[in-house]
Amino acid sequence: MPFRSKTSRIIIPVVEMTPMIDIIFLLIIFFMVAAQFAQQATIDLDLPNEAGEKTPIETPSALIINLTADGDIIVDSPDNLITIEDLDSRIQSFVETESATWDLISLRADENAESAALNEVLRILNKHGLSATRIATESP
Amino acid sequence: MLFNKKKSRRNINKGVVNMSSMIDVTFLLLIYFLVTTVLTPPEDELNPALEVQEGASQVSDELEPQVIDVVKRGNDEIYLIGSQSITSRETLYEVLSKLPHEPGVIVKVDGTTSVSFALAAIQEARNAGFEKVTYVPTNP
Repeated sequence: MPFRSKTSRIIIPVVEMTPMIDIIFLLIIFFMVAAQFAQQATIDLDLPNEAGEKTPIETPSALIINLTADGDIIVDSPDNLITIEDLDSRIQSFVETESATWDLISLRADENAESAALNEVLRILNKHGLSATRIATESP
Repeated sequence: MLFNKKKSRRNINKGVVNMSSMIDVTFLLLIYFLVTTVLTPPEDELNPALEVQEGASQVSDELEPQVIDVVKRGNDEIYLIGSQSITSRETLYEVLSKLPHEPGVIVKVDGTTSVSFALAAIQEARNAGFEKVTYVPTNP
């Protein structure tokens, strides 16, 4: 009997691992999803280092037009390089079918691009009745 | 003694799952995603109004009092306000601050300049307090 009582006093520390594993799995899922979204959404451009508007528009863009330093126009995915004529018809259908307004279209132009390319894109936007534009910048 | 024997049998039958290898893998995955995730910098935006000149000199005359011409002379990119030629954006800001703000300002961008130089004019107009800034793409 004295032997028994000795064994019952031994305290084995138990570390509860389940919550930690839960958190780690959640973090992994978060980073996996974030990495996927980052790949889809952005095309690597050197945006102009400007502070932008004091009150930026909160509406998310439905169409993002990317203009590279070489003057190429990319819409949607990084490999979807289109001509100015394609952009024209794309904007036309966007405005006609979805009755889009200017604040739904965002323009990301590389700071080293010639403004001639930017002017061409803006002319097309204006041609389809869009009275203003959203030009993306990067805070300095 | 019989009671004791029963207890020891129970202990032997308890299944023990070794979690350490799984935790190792999840930690490795977590570190991998932490390292490889590229955090995209937050973007701001400039929202100038758009206007296209249709080759009519009348439009040009209407806009004349508050026009910034963004042009390239030789290798230099300059801002022209009336007859005044401006090379730095600080000077541009000073000049714009003195102009009346109510009529707004027109930024006429020559296609030969860079996008960053053109957008700097819009930014300085905003900084100087102009609410109505209009981007006018022009042919070089």
